[in-house]
Amino acid sequence: MLQLTDVHRSFGAVQAVRGVTFAIPTGATFGLLGPNGAGKTTTMRMILNILVPDRGTITWNGARIDGALRRRFGYLPEERGIYGKLKVREQMAYFGKLHGLREPLLGKRIDEWMERLEIAQYGNRPCAELSKGNQQKVQVACASMHEPEFLILDEPFSGLDPVNAEVLLGALRHLQSKGSTLVLSSHQMYQIENVCTEFCIIAGGQVRVNGSLGELRAQWPTRTVLVEPSSPMLRSVLDRIPNATARPHENGTLAYDVPRTFDVPQLARELVAAGDLTRLERMEPSLSDIYLRAIGEPV
Amino acid sequence: MNDFGIIFEAEFLRRVKSRAFLIGTLLGALMIVGLSAAPSLFAHGISSSTHRIVLAGDPELTAAAKALLAKDFDVRATEPVPVKAPTLGDLAHAGNAAAIVELTNGARGLEVTVYASDAAGFRTTTLRDDIVPLKVALAVHGKPEMISSLLDFSVDVHSLDAKFRDEASANAARGFALLLVVLLYLAIILNCQGVLTSVAEEKTSRIAELLVATTSPAQLLAGKIVAAGATGMIQILVWVAVGLATAAGLVSSVGGPSGGLHASSRTLGGLGSIDLPTSLLVAFVVFFVLGFLQYATLYAAVASLISRTEDIGSVAGPLVLPVLAGFLLAQVALGIPNATGIVVASQIPLLTPFVMFTRMAVVSVPLWQVILAVGINVVATVGIVWLAGKIYRVGLLMYGRPPKLAQIVNVLRTS
Repeated sequence: MLQLTDVHRSFGAVQAVRGVTFAIPTGATFGLLGPNGAGKTTTMRMILNILVPDRGTITWNGARIDGALRRRFGYLPEERGIYGKLKVREQMAYFGKLHGLREPLLGKRIDEWMERLEIAQYGNRPCAELSKGNQQKVQVACASMHEPEFLILDEPFSGLDPVNAEVLLGALRHLQSKGSTLVLSSHQMYQIENVCTEFCIIAGGQVRVNGSLGELRAQWPTRTVLVEPSSPMLRSVLDRIPNATARPHENGTLAYDVPRTFDVPQLARELVAAGDLTRLERMEPSLSDIYLRAIGEPV
Repeated sequence: MNDFGIIFEAEFLRRVKSRAFLIGTLLGALMIVGLSAAPSLFAHGISSSTHRIVLAGDPELTAAAKALLAKDFDVRATEPVPVKAPTLGDLAHAGNAAAIVELTNGARGLEVTVYASDAAGFRTTTLRDDIVPLKVALAVHGKPEMISSLLDFSVDVHSLDAKFRDEASANAARGFALLLVVLLYLAIILNCQGVLTSVAEEKTSRIAELLVATTSPAQLLAGKIVAAGATGMIQILVWVAVGLATAAGLVSSVGGPSGGLHASSRTLGGLGSIDLPTSLLVAFVVFFVLGFLQYATLYAAVASLISRTEDIGSVAGPLVLPVLAGFLLAQVALGIPNATGIVVASQIPLLTPFVMFTRMAVVSVPLWQVILAVGINVVATVGIVWLAGKIYRVGLLMYGRPPKLAQIVNVLRTS
């Protein structure tokens, strides 16, 4: 398990990270979310010991993260870096060696990961000649080919088309099956929501919420109900719900935020009695809803 | 293999396979061949154009002068009467001669007037030295040959400095020192530029963050610098081999240091005439290593501060100054190796590799000065590596405009 406890880090007068505490269970896929400048990159750099915290501790299975441990970690930074003149295989071999892989396993892993990420045909081409998306896949391969215990991927889906995003998701599922603990930072909520099991939303250098999606949803005060058709009789039933708020909605659908504990089956009976009900749906808050609310809330 | 070995191997192969290394090594070798061949070609050019002369004047005078001048000049013709208003055309007619030398025996004895195509390039002193016996012979009514034999004596100069047997070997040492200092300068500049561009490339392409997430900045920096140093040593070995081969070729092709090869023999061709002390070669390696470490770490630190390749020149430009200063002071040290300023400069880090090495090549430097210089430079190198390593570690993750000195100091204090 990765444990961050009261971690602080400043750059001059700027407090980038202020008392961050969270834990990532071994084998979890953890979504680290937050707006630009929230302190995500600084937190990730501190986890990897690239930056040293001013205060607080970071441990992996109870041990401080040192050079030997870091060799078993992997990292895909948001700002991609690549040796343009090196061929794909050479680049992967270099990073594979730095992560402790040696022949013959090194060559085997290079082949496997080029196959997995569908870049095998580019093995002997200089990286600079590849498209941006394929360069990104090379970088993912460099960060993942040693099948790290712990892998941080900062914005892994950015710049990938939907087909390549699926290829990447397949690679991440492979790592999950191998027991790797993954940390993903992304603004693409849909993919993060689908792949991650745990989440932490930080803003202003502080943790706003963290937990599994179920736990985060459990803390959400309302649920949204969608009702069709948008008739005056159905609307009058919804307007009588205590503390309900109408939400703008299109396509002839009525949308209301109702308290989390509201009795939806009872509402269903009332709506059926009131008119020609064709649709009633209780929607859980999306990760995007939770994110927007979390970063908008004052601490 | 640990991270250092992996980084060293990757960097070394990347460097030796690069066009910059191949072109740099080739250009250096060509320059050495050029430097070694140029003096002889130059000397040959001078002699061929300045040793042909025409003598004019009384036939008795010109006959006697011709005999005296024969060893240094090719007298193409003698004219019995003074030439009136000589022109360049007259020189061309006389087998493209360099000058018409007019001799008269007037009231003040022998008088010589030279009409030369290139007055500045004409060997006036040689002509005067050769013809002095004729002037004396006319004054004392003696025979020029006898006067010439009386005036022909040599001055043997023996060096009290035990380093060299005589002036010739000292001159050869100066030439050799000059060559080695040029090599030292080239090796440091070229390979430090290599470190600079390598670090800048990793920084600007953002690959640096990926690397420092995997290995320590210290290992990364060490791997890079040692790889650049190794390629530098290979370059030096190639250049030295080319220099020795060229020198050997020149000596054997002309049959020894004489005639047109004389000037060359004092630089490269003279290598065969000096005993190249092992200590000097050891000093060369030591000062290359010290100088390279000092400059390479500084270049790496500076390169880690830039975010765009366009900033390389403005940020790294000032670092050329100490290299250039060291190189120029080394040229001065060739002539006045024990001048106080040079002795002091030979103890100053960044300058020592050039200045102390040059002094050691041309004079016997007291051992305590050498030990002091090496000691100061080892301590300074450790300090520079420590400071530059710290800047490098912090600089790799700094992006934006190149930071000001105060910002760097502030970040170093808080890091």
